[in-house]
Amino acid sequence: MTNMAEDLKAEAPFLGTRITEAAEDRRRTDRKRSPREQKKRTANVIIYGVLVVLVVALMVPFIWMLSSSLKENNQVLTVPIQWIPSEFVWSNYTDIWTRIPMMGYLQNSLYLAVVITCLQVLTGSLAAYGFSKVRFPGRDVLFLCYIGTIAVPWQAYMVPQYIMMQQLGLTNSFNALILLQAFGAFGVFLMRQYYMTIPDELCEAARIDGLSEYGIWARVILPLSKPALASLALLTFVNTWNDYMGPFIYLTSNRLWTVQLGLRSFVGQFDAEYAMIMTGSVISVIPILIIFLIGQRYFIQGIATSGMKG
Amino acid sequence: MKRTTLAAIALAVTAGLGLTGCAGAAGPAEPKAAEGKTRLTVSVWNYEGTPEFKALFDGYEAANPNVDIEPVDILADDYPQKVTTMLAGGDTTDVLTMKNVIDYSRYANNGQLQEINGVVDKVGKDKLAGLDAFDMDGKYFAAPYRQDFWLLYYNKDLFKAAGVDDPKDLTWDQYTALAKKLTTTGADGKKVYGTYHHIWRSVVEAISAAQNGKDQTSGDYGYFEDQYNTALDLQKSGATLDYGTAKSQKTSYRTMFETGQTAMMPMGTWYIAGILQAKKDGKTNVNWGLAPMPQKNDDGKVTTFGSPTAFAVNKNAVHSDEAKKFIEWAAGEEGAKAISKIGVVPALQDDAVKDAYFKLDGMPTDDLSKKAFTPDATALEMPVSDKSAATDKVLNQEHDLIMVGEKSVTDGIAEMGKRVKSEVLGQ
Amino acid sequence: MTTETITQVPAPVHSRGNRKQARRNTLIGWTFILPNFLGFLAFTLIPVVAAFALSFMEWTSFSAPKWVGLANFQRMFASDSFWIALRNTVVYALGHVPLTMALALILAMLLNRKLKGIGFFRVAIFFPYITSLVAVAVVWNMLFSPDSGPINQFLHSIGIANAPGWTSSSDWALPAVIITSVWRDMGYYMVLYLAGLQAIPTELYEAAEVDGASAWQRFWNVTIPSLRPTTFFVVVMLTVSSFKVFDLIVVMTGGGPGRSTTVLSQLIYQEGIGEGKFGYSSAISLVLFIIVLTVTVLQFKIQQRRER
Repeated sequence: MTNMAEDLKAEAPFLGTRITEAAEDRRRTDRKRSPREQKKRTANVIIYGVLVVLVVALMVPFIWMLSSSLKENNQVLTVPIQWIPSEFVWSNYTDIWTRIPMMGYLQNSLYLAVVITCLQVLTGSLAAYGFSKVRFPGRDVLFLCYIGTIAVPWQAYMVPQYIMMQQLGLTNSFNALILLQAFGAFGVFLMRQYYMTIPDELCEAARIDGLSEYGIWARVILPLSKPALASLALLTFVNTWNDYMGPFIYLTSNRLWTVQLGLRSFVGQFDAEYAMIMTGSVISVIPILIIFLIGQRYFIQGIATSGMKG
Repeated sequence: MKRTTLAAIALAVTAGLGLTGCAGAAGPAEPKAAEGKTRLTVSVWNYEGTPEFKALFDGYEAANPNVDIEPVDILADDYPQKVTTMLAGGDTTDVLTMKNVIDYSRYANNGQLQEINGVVDKVGKDKLAGLDAFDMDGKYFAAPYRQDFWLLYYNKDLFKAAGVDDPKDLTWDQYTALAKKLTTTGADGKKVYGTYHHIWRSVVEAISAAQNGKDQTSGDYGYFEDQYNTALDLQKSGATLDYGTAKSQKTSYRTMFETGQTAMMPMGTWYIAGILQAKKDGKTNVNWGLAPMPQKNDDGKVTTFGSPTAFAVNKNAVHSDEAKKFIEWAAGEEGAKAISKIGVVPALQDDAVKDAYFKLDGMPTDDLSKKAFTPDATALEMPVSDKSAATDKVLNQEHDLIMVGEKSVTDGIAEMGKRVKSEVLGQ
Repeated sequence: MTTETITQVPAPVHSRGNRKQARRNTLIGWTFILPNFLGFLAFTLIPVVAAFALSFMEWTSFSAPKWVGLANFQRMFASDSFWIALRNTVVYALGHVPLTMALALILAMLLNRKLKGIGFFRVAIFFPYITSLVAVAVVWNMLFSPDSGPINQFLHSIGIANAPGWTSSSDWALPAVIITSVWRDMGYYMVLYLAGLQAIPTELYEAAEVDGASAWQRFWNVTIPSLRPTTFFVVVMLTVSSFKVFDLIVVMTGGGPGRSTTVLSQLIYQEGIGEGKFGYSSAISLVLFIIVLTVTVLQFKIQQRRER
């Protein structure tokens, strides 16, 4: 067996992209395997067991975060660690909204994360089509150029970049950050790699049907790449949401600050209010959770290329 | 396929919105200078958490109704990095606050600050503590308004319980013995340490340099030896929390002192304002006092170290003259009064200011505490030169290795000298 | 056929054509790339090139840069700190890349199924990535604590007498950091693998099953080859992020004890914006860039050969 995946791809005749029909097909095939069901159920029990153990191991620091968010500040960093607060300080969760303009910060973060994510997904998936499905001279060199810049740490060029932005009059505004972060190479690279897994036969057939390249991108490729779009959107959102250095350098006015900056304002010159920082961190995780729960629904096997079924 | 098209349009619209401007800014509104007023901008760190700035600005605005001060609020953590970046971009903030003298030397040496000898002369050169640090061949590019120095905080209740006298005129040996005596394990299994040394290298190195009259940028560090032996002895005997744990657990010195986990603690005067606030808010009930730092010699003289905080005028300032006037006020008597009211130690230290300071609500008023407040000599925590930052880095790394016990005191000190000489001094 | 020599990527049939066709393709290709490329050029590429130019100059950010030729590089190659940081960075990458990749793939396989509450488990595995770094550092340092930490207590209980000192020892701090970072990042890369797995047609598995392939064979002969583009992406991104690692190390060990966990990007930060030696810090980043680019191009070539 040399490479079954590619052999099969080559053999599979293209029929169409009627997704729903194919999904129904799959459901039917699922139902008829009753002798296996028993085996599958035991497998599931084992998987659940493994997952539960895993989840506990992964959540420990988060639990510390939660517990710290319910303590007085001078009870947080104790030696040894105290897992259960001696006294639950629920007021942290009401105080934080008045100690700092948390609501405003959340809105700013949300605005930045949404705009940057949308732009990144849109321009990234467009460019990725150019890099994977259209051939032209210099394409691969240009692509390596993209990847190459990811390798340069931001610390190395943030000052030249800042000077440039200052001359353009863009510092101390959201636009600076949007322009910097929306056109990164990350999205292009991620989407290109995903498009590579989509058989070229699909594009070819669409071409024969008379679709333009833009039509192929919008009507064939995009609908097929939902899982990749979802993961790109999710990861971009999280990275923008959690970014600290970028907003710190570019947003000076307090009214533009994001959540991450707001939380750092609890760090003083000689000490820090960790109880408040943890409270804010717990609150700032919630939007990410919501986005994740929405996004992860697109990670369902079988949607992507079920149109290939012969 | 309609949905895809719709989604694409939605994306495009959002994108367009994103570029039309900062529509989403939702924080507090930008303060605007009122009609006819001068808007003076001052770079500060952590405006909400550092009340001295507000005290100064409110005081100055009250005295000068034609000026509106606008703080440029920068996070404390990476303050110098942000200021450097802003200045590289040609920022026009009027007054720059110098968080430490190392940054000051960088800005001043590179011509980023205006000379303000006139301001310093008017305030009075002999009145300002820590002014020497800002002297660059007779020129001053900043004036200190605040001067923190180190003293010994102690928990009076723990001393009483152990039946020992207050820590008066201690030498380092007496201090070590006392710390060991005060270390106990309570009935509930909770350990109380005799003292707590925070992980900063200054706790060992700066005090040693100050009391030996040595220079930390010289490349010769033999004089650190006694102080390291003292620190390691305390750690080995369990009289202080060990360095590795304190560092990896990010132990808070405030937690150690405010929850009664340590009987003594060498720390800077900035903590006075913090502890006063914590007591006022009912977050701690520690019964505290101040004592002078332990000394090398028992001649009764007190030598400690400290570091000033200063205001400087940006080369690109929009309102240079107003900026200088503000600094003159802030470093002078009026400014000193304004910040001592909230427990911050001003650089201008005369008897009137000191008396006012001890009248603060919650300050210990015993003689020992007052004595702690008037050291005979206060050396600079780290000398000012263009080598300070690089030296500081090397000393920190080697301090780390000595304190976790990876290197012996002699090896560590030898390595410090070797590295500073080759990496920093270029010998 | 000019285009054939440029790329080995499987060719869409239409591109087999004359020069006119090639020109048309170039035009179409660029229109797709342009929206992203313009932003990328203006706000990333130009500053990056400027930074590289600075590596041949002396610049304090306050005055005009001064040409110094190769002086920055000479200083760098003669500096202990640089070699220590480079070594630490490479060791970190060698540990972090394969471990994270393997675990991310295993987790993605485990979670790529329809189970009740699967969404919850997927979120849970992503949690370390969104937990505050301070919390991560404090808890892991506690777990690694040499005397009282659960990890060493476990090692003692299975008869290992001198268990490592982890973050308070120069020899073991880097492994401790690697373990923590793998734990933190695997959820992130799992998301990418999860997306990649969706692209594999179920029919391939069904066909393999009909052929009588075992689960292992199906994994080896269907899953792995189909995931190749995703794996390429994951490997490159992991390599890049390992060479740029900064935050976690700063919060967890601060580069210590001594210099035992100092990495290149920390050096770049300290020397550059920390001490105002921007020329020198640019020189370090140029070296870092060349290393990562070499690794990436190598992987790119390997991937292309496999695809042929």
